[in-house]
Amino acid sequence: MNMHFYFFKRFKYVTILAITMLFCTAVFAQVAIQGKVTDNTGNGLPGVSVLIKGSSVGTSTDVNGSYSLTVPNSKAVLIFSYVGFPTQEVEVGSKTTLNVSLLPNQGQLNEVVVVGYGTQRRKEVTSAVATVTAAQFNKGNISDVSQLLQGKVAGLSISKPGGNPNGGFTLRLRGLSTLGANTSPLVVVDGQVGADINTVDPNDIQSIDVLKDAASGAIYGTRGSSGVIIITTKRGGRTPTVAYNGSVTAEDPVEFTPHMTAAEYVKAGGKDLGASTDWNDEITRTAVSQIHNLSFSGGSGGGTSYIASLNYRDVQGVAITTGFNQLNAHFGLTQKALKDRLTFTIDGNATRRSSTFGWDRAFQYATIFNPTAPLRTTDAPGAGGLNLTGSGYVEQNFVEYANPLAVLEQNTNKGTLKRMNINTSGQIEIIHGLKFLMRYAQENTSNFRSAYLPKTSFDTRLLDGGSGFTKNGLAQQQDNESHTQLFESILSFEKKVSSKLNLNALAGYSYQDFLYNGLYVRAGDFLSDVNADNITNAGDFKNGKAISNSYKNGSRLVAFFGRVNLNYNDFAFLSASLRREGSTQFGTNNKWGNFPAVSAGLDIGKLVSVNKVNSLKLRASYGVTGALPPNSYLSQFLYGPTGRSFLYNGVYIPAYEPTQNSNPDLKWEKKAEFDIGLDFAMFNNRLTGSADYYNRKTSDLLFNATVPVPPYPTDRRWMNIGTLENTGIEFLVAYDVIKSKAFNWNTSVNFSTFNIKLASLNKDLAGTVIGASNLGSPGQEQTQITRAVEGESIGLIWGPVYKGLDPTGKFLFDDGTGKAVLSDAYKTKIGNGLPDFELGWTNTFRYKNFDLNFFLRGSFGHDIVNTYRAFFENSTPTNIASYNVVTSKYFNTALTSQPTFSSLYVEKGTFVKLDNATLGYDFDFKNDGAIKGLRAFVNGQNLFVITDYTGIDPEVRYSYGGNILAPGVDARDTWVRTRSFTFGINLKF
Amino acid sequence: MKIISFKKYSIAGLMVIASCTNLDEKNYLYDTATNQNFGQTDAEVVSLMAAAYTNLYGSFGSDGSIMRLEEVPTDEIVVPQRGPDWGDGGHWVRLKLHTTKPDDGGPGNTWSFLFKGVNTCNRVLSILEPIGTPASTKFMSEIKALRAIYYYWLLDLFGNVPISTDFTQTDPPPNNTRKEVYDFVEKELLAALPDLQKTGPNDNGTYGRVNYYTAETVLAKLYLNAEVYTGTAQWDKAIAASDEIINSNLFSLMPNYSDNFKKDNKGGTESIWVIPYDEIQATGFQLPHMTLHMASQETYKMGGQPWNGWASVQEFYNSYIDPAQNPGPQGTVVGLDPKGTPIQGTKDKRLGNFIVGPQFTSDGVSPLNDAGYEAASDPDGPQLNFTPYMNELVPAAWRQTGARIGKYEFYKGMTGQLSNDWVLFRYADILLTKAEALARKAANWNDPTALALVNQIRTVHGGVTPYATMTAATFLAERGREMFFECTRRQDQIRFDTYNSAFRFHPADPSKHVNLFPIPESVLNANKNLKQNPGY
Repeated sequence: MNMHFYFFKRFKYVTILAITMLFCTAVFAQVAIQGKVTDNTGNGLPGVSVLIKGSSVGTSTDVNGSYSLTVPNSKAVLIFSYVGFPTQEVEVGSKTTLNVSLLPNQGQLNEVVVVGYGTQRRKEVTSAVATVTAAQFNKGNISDVSQLLQGKVAGLSISKPGGNPNGGFTLRLRGLSTLGANTSPLVVVDGQVGADINTVDPNDIQSIDVLKDAASGAIYGTRGSSGVIIITTKRGGRTPTVAYNGSVTAEDPVEFTPHMTAAEYVKAGGKDLGASTDWNDEITRTAVSQIHNLSFSGGSGGGTSYIASLNYRDVQGVAITTGFNQLNAHFGLTQKALKDRLTFTIDGNATRRSSTFGWDRAFQYATIFNPTAPLRTTDAPGAGGLNLTGSGYVEQNFVEYANPLAVLEQNTNKGTLKRMNINTSGQIEIIHGLKFLMRYAQENTSNFRSAYLPKTSFDTRLLDGGSGFTKNGLAQQQDNESHTQLFESILSFEKKVSSKLNLNALAGYSYQDFLYNGLYVRAGDFLSDVNADNITNAGDFKNGKAISNSYKNGSRLVAFFGRVNLNYNDFAFLSASLRREGSTQFGTNNKWGNFPAVSAGLDIGKLVSVNKVNSLKLRASYGVTGALPPNSYLSQFLYGPTGRSFLYNGVYIPAYEPTQNSNPDLKWEKKAEFDIGLDFAMFNNRLTGSADYYNRKTSDLLFNATVPVPPYPTDRRWMNIGTLENTGIEFLVAYDVIKSKAFNWNTSVNFSTFNIKLASLNKDLAGTVIGASNLGSPGQEQTQITRAVEGESIGLIWGPVYKGLDPTGKFLFDDGTGKAVLSDAYKTKIGNGLPDFELGWTNTFRYKNFDLNFFLRGSFGHDIVNTYRAFFENSTPTNIASYNVVTSKYFNTALTSQPTFSSLYVEKGTFVKLDNATLGYDFDFKNDGAIKGLRAFVNGQNLFVITDYTGIDPEVRYSYGGNILAPGVDARDTWVRTRSFTFGINLKF
Repeated sequence: MKIISFKKYSIAGLMVIASCTNLDEKNYLYDTATNQNFGQTDAEVVSLMAAAYTNLYGSFGSDGSIMRLEEVPTDEIVVPQRGPDWGDGGHWVRLKLHTTKPDDGGPGNTWSFLFKGVNTCNRVLSILEPIGTPASTKFMSEIKALRAIYYYWLLDLFGNVPISTDFTQTDPPPNNTRKEVYDFVEKELLAALPDLQKTGPNDNGTYGRVNYYTAETVLAKLYLNAEVYTGTAQWDKAIAASDEIINSNLFSLMPNYSDNFKKDNKGGTESIWVIPYDEIQATGFQLPHMTLHMASQETYKMGGQPWNGWASVQEFYNSYIDPAQNPGPQGTVVGLDPKGTPIQGTKDKRLGNFIVGPQFTSDGVSPLNDAGYEAASDPDGPQLNFTPYMNELVPAAWRQTGARIGKYEFYKGMTGQLSNDWVLFRYADILLTKAEALARKAANWNDPTALALVNQIRTVHGGVTPYATMTAATFLAERGREMFFECTRRQDQIRFDTYNSAFRFHPADPSKHVNLFPIPESVLNANKNLKQNPGY
């Protein structure tokens, strides 16, 4: 800490010195240069950094790609650089106008790629790393960083079924490679390891790099197994720029679970309550959202560059009363000094998001609530009629059943998320090529949730563990806080060893600690609804019925790491790294793990000259990554309160019992991965792409396994229990179909396959059913629908095989021999919830100032358990007496059996979606005008879906109730699928 | 200048490194207790021992565990599939049909409840053993007796279970035979007796805990069923154990049967051992949820929605009201037709074991309507009406059918977790045990002492006419009326050989292996040293 203080003092002095020096330079500078930077299609590239070589003087291009700069003399060399494009150096000479084209054909392989703890040129990369730049991001109503990438990277699956604006996305890189650890990739934001992916606003991101194989991820050790996503934010140039991006979106529900209308329901034997209500219509709306982003960036001659931005989102959900608003401020400051040998950065992000979540169950109720029920009733309050609670809303007392309109209108469910990030670094170049960097970063989040069900609310099941309606007002409040600190120091070295051999090495130390704490209170019985935000007004505090909980836990990670990169004549490349990392979460016998990686690449194109082939690079990598236990203390023998008290001499006293078995051997999951890939460019670089094959094996899988009691004190124990095997191929191909000054058409396809197998289980556990999940209430508890089996693929859907109906309408099932019988006793594999392959297809057209982009995305081969059908596609008298009936194309009025799970409810989930289409127009402005650029666009999201699935959204379900071994279950509280249209402008001045 | 700055920088960096490689998780234990930092004070030690008893909460009086095995397979209880409700993969129906599978929840949850009890006792003993004071020795005997009781239930339900007495044992234990388990239970209880307190139901210090008479009760029940467990009858021992309790004069029949089960039933003179439930402190008694109809929430202003599940069966209800089976004063009772039309029948005071007939809102007079009534299957209109008649077990038992279990007092404003104490062992059971042992020993169901004991219960509790003569069947019927829903019926039916016969919703069993439940599949998977019970 003393060091930082010292650094500040020095920094001030150095800055003054540097500014003075630069001022002097400026006085004698005489040559004014201007020009335009364009891409391969001749369009201006905004935001390109233009730097005078050997100085910190520079600027960046405006929205049209134009720039102007004063250089000291004609010998000056300008460096044009832009993430995702090659860097170019041009000597000014006698010119005063210097137009530069940053073209892939001058070396797509020079593109800057951000890798763990550094950057490389694309041609030097020897492992599987994908880069997505801002120009390639998904557009439209984007409020989550994950959306930017959806479908853009082969092997990276991003899924969110339904249109819940407050719902998160599931991210999976190369499928599942863990049983008990984190399934989402590690996120690194501007060097801040382990940050939340939504730390920065989507508008502030310059590029995203995805480290896919273990060799690239191994430098992140125990957190690299699920892949790594590296986010680079926009930085300031030199020209002061003000930019505004704004958009407004209208979003509509497009599909509801098919069910009976009022007339159909009455005809089928349902009770007629006299009205005709479309409950889905009552609880949904056209949601209107707006997003505004204002940013300032620029720099001074003193080596200072800055960017600051303000992002505001006001997003409505299609369910009434739902949505969020979010304000985010971001700044990034870079200061160079000591003739650019010292670089100091501070980045800050502050976000406040205020959400109204509504209640997901409203969609379940809208499907099954009596369609003949009126919204409200004038019946006298009480049990005799429809006004059960006196709220005036129609309610009926069935299991898991409530008026969906009342659910959303009466009850509140709110949250405020605050996140603050500070990320600061200092780097000094000690001698030429040797740099030392220190980074300190902090992430703080606070998530406050509150819910209130008023005195006349019916459905207290909305809150976990609630049931019935006579709670007389029920409030729940909770606060969850987290605090993470990161300290890293890295020494890096770059040297040209000989004329042909370049060496690049680094060594570092990383320390990170994590602290989580929170509080939860639930209490009912209020005198009045008006002051229920003060939960202590609840009567439950007086009689002991209030429930509360609090927690605090933490952990620490410490690591040493190093890497060596060799480049022989831009022809052969070699990289080797090692991270040695330890965690407090490991058992005492296994505190430290080693995570090595080695990778190599060979530019075959240089070796053999193949006609039409511009470059051809073969690369192979092998690496080992790890995954941490999901929580702290899992290796410890723990005691905890039983929650129920012991009557001891007439007085109740707390009872404690073992809550967890110890496991001093508990350690990381270990993933070893081999990846072989080919990067190519052909036909004058019009066809580019890469292909990868990977084979990963995760051993020492973490799992909370069932163990015998006795001898164990309690029946669960976190153990390292088996291996997963995972293979796949991925390719990405881009082709410039038409390339001319006026019209361009680029098309690109990415494709990835998945094949994940539970290869082995510890002999203690062999034969044990893991990954089982339950269909649930009403009436289908203890109905297992998924499982993981040793030697089989992950994602098995399990149950009886449907064989039709008998003459009386009863279900017939396979008895195991192919014979149709009434018994559902024989159960087997009836599907798999994970896809076989996924596809993304982007097309970009550009005609003069117009551009059109559309993007199709598909998942193939996955199955989905349609739980709506499994429960409610049944019109037998006892069912229709309680619930409306789901009527997909499989609905059969002849059915007389009660709901029984079988393959009848497992459907093919294969789909293709037109995910995103954008039509944009760039207005022309003179360079010296006040407005430097204006672009307007219209965008449509989720425009159509082609699928056989009869539910509302065929997206892959990666987990069910948090169980990652139970994919493929379409839960009943999934939101409806939506379609949205956005109009937006980007303005720069 | 620059060199110096670098040096200072790196030295500071190195210092940070040196101090930051400590990965002992102790430094991060904030909200948890481990075996290293807990158990240091008397209060902490007592709280660890308490778990041996609190393990009982949520077992008896709940639908998740042992009650499934003790009650649902018998002729007094049914959990039918009511259309979309209670299908649950068919395990409730399988319990009734005696076709329970090793991976059903009933055996699994019960096994883990009982072995958790055993293991907790072993752990408490391992804490107590080194103390070595007279008080700790007495407490050890109490815990050993409690462990023997957990084993008594294991013996009864699963038979061939592993005997585990050592907390430090690390190998998963193999099966013992049912005979070995029987011997273990007997030996342990007899050994504990001298240290156990001879206190009655009003003693604060032993209320809810195992005392001398609890141990004698278990011995009496063990001996009563000894022929089933070992092939050798032990009638004399059963009589002797019963007499130990009867002759203590600490217990007597409650003049009012239902007072045994009222909300404030603490200190009832029949209660030998109870689970001292409390709706706040000691939860887990959720009978209102299990048995009442969803709409009944209004009747009792209950704090949760009932599940409309557990009920009794028409033949069993009829054994109370049928004058031929149960002679006594006649009056109007709810009848057996689908409407529950009132008829003339015996007014046994123990009919309060059931909630039958039309239901009302909390004011007691306004009819309580069931919004989901089906005209086709509910001839008596929308008012909620619990009929002893039940149309079928599966798949579509009508929502309002089945006499509901009203044995424990349901009070207004209950949360759904009752405060009534669950009576595990009751004095009336001891009187009937002695009567049965006497009759069986004499091979004469009209043994005068046996008849007198039974008639004592008939007159005091039922308010019905004493039996002039008795048969095995009429004895069993009387035991059924008295002990309804007290987890004795399965034992009784096995002892009287009616468990495998056909009764309502249960066809005759082809094989008697079903008299023991299967060892749960999850347990067999986790413990490779265990073998499954025969027949599964």
